[in-house]
Amino acid sequence: MAETLGFIDPTAGGDVARIPLARRPMDLAGATVGLLDNTKEQGDVILHTLGSVLQERYGVARVVLQRKEHYSKPAAPALIEAMAQEVTVAIAAVGG
Amino acid sequence: MCCVHDTIAFEQRGIPGAVIITQAFTKAAEFQFRAKGMPTHPYVVLPHPISNLSTPDMQTLTAQYVAQVVRHLTA
Amino acid sequence: MPQDIDPFEFFLDKPWSDGLPVVTPTEARVEWMLEAVRLAPEAVVGLIPPLLEPATVRTIAIHAVMAGCKPSYLPVVLGGLRLMLREEFNLNGVQGTMHGVAPLMIVSGPYAQQIGLHGGNGCFGPGFRANATIGRAIRLLLLNLGGGIPGVASATIFATPMRYTACLTENLADSPWESLAVSQGYAATDNVITCAMVESPRLCFDDVSQEPTRLLTGLASSMTDLCSWNMHTRSDMVVALGPQHATLCAQAGLSRAEVQRRLCQMAGRTVGDLKRGGNWRRERALAFPIPVDPDDDTCFIPAIKHPDDLQLIVAGGWGPCTAICHGWSGGSHAVHGTYEV
Repeated sequence: MAETLGFIDPTAGGDVARIPLARRPMDLAGATVGLLDNTKEQGDVILHTLGSVLQERYGVARVVLQRKEHYSKPAAPALIEAMAQEVTVAIAAVGG
Repeated sequence: MCCVHDTIAFEQRGIPGAVIITQAFTKAAEFQFRAKGMPTHPYVVLPHPISNLSTPDMQTLTAQYVAQVVRHLTA
Repeated sequence: MPQDIDPFEFFLDKPWSDGLPVVTPTEARVEWMLEAVRLAPEAVVGLIPPLLEPATVRTIAIHAVMAGCKPSYLPVVLGGLRLMLREEFNLNGVQGTMHGVAPLMIVSGPYAQQIGLHGGNGCFGPGFRANATIGRAIRLLLLNLGGGIPGVASATIFATPMRYTACLTENLADSPWESLAVSQGYAATDNVITCAMVESPRLCFDDVSQEPTRLLTGLASSMTDLCSWNMHTRSDMVVALGPQHATLCAQAGLSRAEVQRRLCQMAGRTVGDLKRGGNWRRERALAFPIPVDPDDDTCFIPAIKHPDDLQLIVAGGWGPCTAICHGWSGGSHAVHGTYEV
């Protein structure tokens, strides 16, 4: 870059490798749904409601609810790892 | 934001993830998904603000988005 | 250099530009900057959220060049960024928040004086290269490597002028007390940075009070705005007592610690008052780390929920004014530590 421009361009990023989405199941019958509550206001209400309706109407077998330490911080890798071992799909709320 | 970050972490471990955000943060969500190589990842957008909703109203509003969440989690 | 590329326009066109021209980063300038530290240029200092791009010593030096830093400022930029990347500071959240807060760097110790960091007249404003460029280097890193760009990854409603730069030192020459760093347990000879995530300062004038109780009553009231997140969550606050106000307190026999204690005690409102407007929600009060009764209108809610959350410094020029910077709602805790020079 320096050779072409004559100066340094420190712009972040560049080409980002595409990450494929995880394979989706056909439906949620018998699924275990992970509910990740980031503790932002209303997140718990949203997730409890989703969990209930998914169990009542979409055949979800079980929900696993986890609360993070604070809404602005990513979940600890260990928490994600543990949930990933236990659930079929996951829902994270609420971003904002 | 961290919900998007966590959803990406699930996807990378083979777990389909749905993420719920509010209207004011759609650009941030798009930016983050794109920056991390998942530009087509869907997200559910609730109207903003929600912090002033009563619990029954929040439950009613959420129920309107269940079908969308299911679509994001299934093939 | 190709004739048709204007380096000023090149960088001003970048989405992460702060809107002001940068010093063109050339290899020669970056090498000059790196001479200030004895660190491997490729050493990774940390990943800047939310993009989590790695900040190496070299890339930090590049941003310091762009910001207009002298090489002698680089240790402070490095030290500040390292502190800001601590988990408890929650840089990830502030990069996306709707709020307009910035990481204010309060730099203490002999090195701050040596490089000309300013803490006297106009210390929150323009005119002082070290203050201006150290804070700016941090901001350019947060914008470029972190991706905290307004309207893109950042939902900030207004931002704050502190997002151009937010770096100062105390006015110890006119202060009757020890520095913030010494009060935190460091030696006066230690080089220390304290970072707190705060809003722009609001200026509190009092040229009437002649004794501390009245003075601190007025200052405490400025810590308790109905729309301030300090009233509705646990949050940091910076109180920069002007030296005239600090001297008034000291001459009445108050120590720095006593002023801190009194402000923490006095600054607050009752539940009934808080319900009248602003961000009052019962659930927010129940989440405080201190016991309160949100159903008792006479219950007193302090602005400062933990004494560590009040960063009290003496800064500014002589005059009847104190600057108070309110905090954020996003779960950031002020951090402090020594830095290498």
